[in-house]
Amino acid sequence: MNFLGYERPDGSVGIRNLILVMSAADCSEPVARMIAEGVEGAVAITQHYGCIPGEMVANTLIGVGENPNVAAVLLIGMGCEGMPAHALGKMIKRSGKPVEWISIQELGGTHNAVTKGKQILRDLSEKASGLKRREFDASELIVGVKCGGSDTSSGLAGNPAVGVFVDMLVDAGGSAIMMEPIEAVGAEEPLAARAVNEAVREKIYKMIGNEEKRWSVPGAQMEFMCKGNIEGGLTTIEEKSMGAIHKSGNRTIRDVLENTDRRLEKVPKGGGVYLQDGTHMEPMAMSFMAAAGAHMVIFVTGCGGTFGHAIVPFIKVTGNPDTYRRMSHDMDINAGTILTGEESMESVGKRIFNEVIEVASGKLTLGERLGYDNFSVFRQDPRLEVLLGITK
Amino acid sequence: MTRAMMMNAKDNVAAALERLEGGVPTTVILPSQEVFREVTPEKSIPTGHKLAVKEIRKGDHVVKYGQVIGTATQDIGLGDHVHVHNVMSNRMQMPEVWYREED
Repeated sequence: MNFLGYERPDGSVGIRNLILVMSAADCSEPVARMIAEGVEGAVAITQHYGCIPGEMVANTLIGVGENPNVAAVLLIGMGCEGMPAHALGKMIKRSGKPVEWISIQELGGTHNAVTKGKQILRDLSEKASGLKRREFDASELIVGVKCGGSDTSSGLAGNPAVGVFVDMLVDAGGSAIMMEPIEAVGAEEPLAARAVNEAVREKIYKMIGNEEKRWSVPGAQMEFMCKGNIEGGLTTIEEKSMGAIHKSGNRTIRDVLENTDRRLEKVPKGGGVYLQDGTHMEPMAMSFMAAAGAHMVIFVTGCGGTFGHAIVPFIKVTGNPDTYRRMSHDMDINAGTILTGEESMESVGKRIFNEVIEVASGKLTLGERLGYDNFSVFRQDPRLEVLLGITK
Repeated sequence: MTRAMMMNAKDNVAAALERLEGGVPTTVILPSQEVFREVTPEKSIPTGHKLAVKEIRKGDHVVKYGQVIGTATQDIGLGDHVHVHNVMSNRMQMPEVWYREED
């Protein structure tokens, strides 16, 4: 199966043609927004951990800039940051795409920075808008899978249907990433049984064990299950995990992608299922998956999560027929038909695959049409990692 | 008739596909739609929540998807609601504040 995408200088293929206006820290975000405002295809993003946010945040921003959905990047710096805009820019530029940067202080303040920024953006936008989509094989696609706001329907219908799609995508040569480090606690065995070799098997246990340590600290337990989970009928983390891992399908797990202060591993060429270390919290997880090279994310929700992402289109699937009825303008795929007995798992999986090809070729998801452009990044505290004995 | 789905033949619980009323029999089906048995819950069970499809004794494993998802903290009769009031995780306990008002 083929889709229509944009070829990038590094050989990757994008499904969107965005221009990122990225401020290195939140202090310069207003200027980034002023520059991007009113320019078709321009997206202003930042991070909110201050100007010395640490390596993990830097790795994520660089990876997001390198994502094939991004045609060009304009970085905005105040000028005095600990993590300067030009440093990020030089790293992103290795991908061969047009990357420019400006400093508000160097240019003499807000007025000049906005004027100069708009000028640069106009040039970048002119180049990007001249790029044409052409046909590529589905094997080029890298799709993230994530669930959130889960209820019982997620484990019974939504996630298994996405799992059917993942099997189809991998059989067609494509790649899938699942990031659920905590929602794998209690589901280690079935995941490890799919590992390509002993080393990957060990990595799976290690990733999940480390996350269990982080969330077993007194006070942290508040976050690994939510009230909606319990009201929806989920009783324990093991049950939630067993339901959650269904969305990764049944194929061999090729590797666990490392995501630490030291490095953020990308999805290698060649297709297959990958687990990625990171976080279970959705918008942040999506930024990690975008940084690893994901083109889009399929999101399974029982209760009905309604967000999106600035860089990767977000296809929302619900297995809950009632949620679909109440929120149909937010839910791209109704997998509730499985529980009502109207449709088989396989049939819904095929519908998801068709939607993925359409969205890859330019069809806007409901979230994109509603204007959802969430962007946030996750920061792991390296000091805590040492205290917990996870890193030395 | 109302339905509840049991994901694996090894399971001792099934999830209600619609609200089950107390005293009214419900059909327990497998994902293949094959009927496993009929069960009559004593009290109503909300959509998506679990009911016991086998007798479960205090200390027994609760099994769903063919995998252990927790341990029974009390005896659970056939058709009884199986949830945070009678099951505990074997791995990580969530704060009681999330479910206190349910009981």
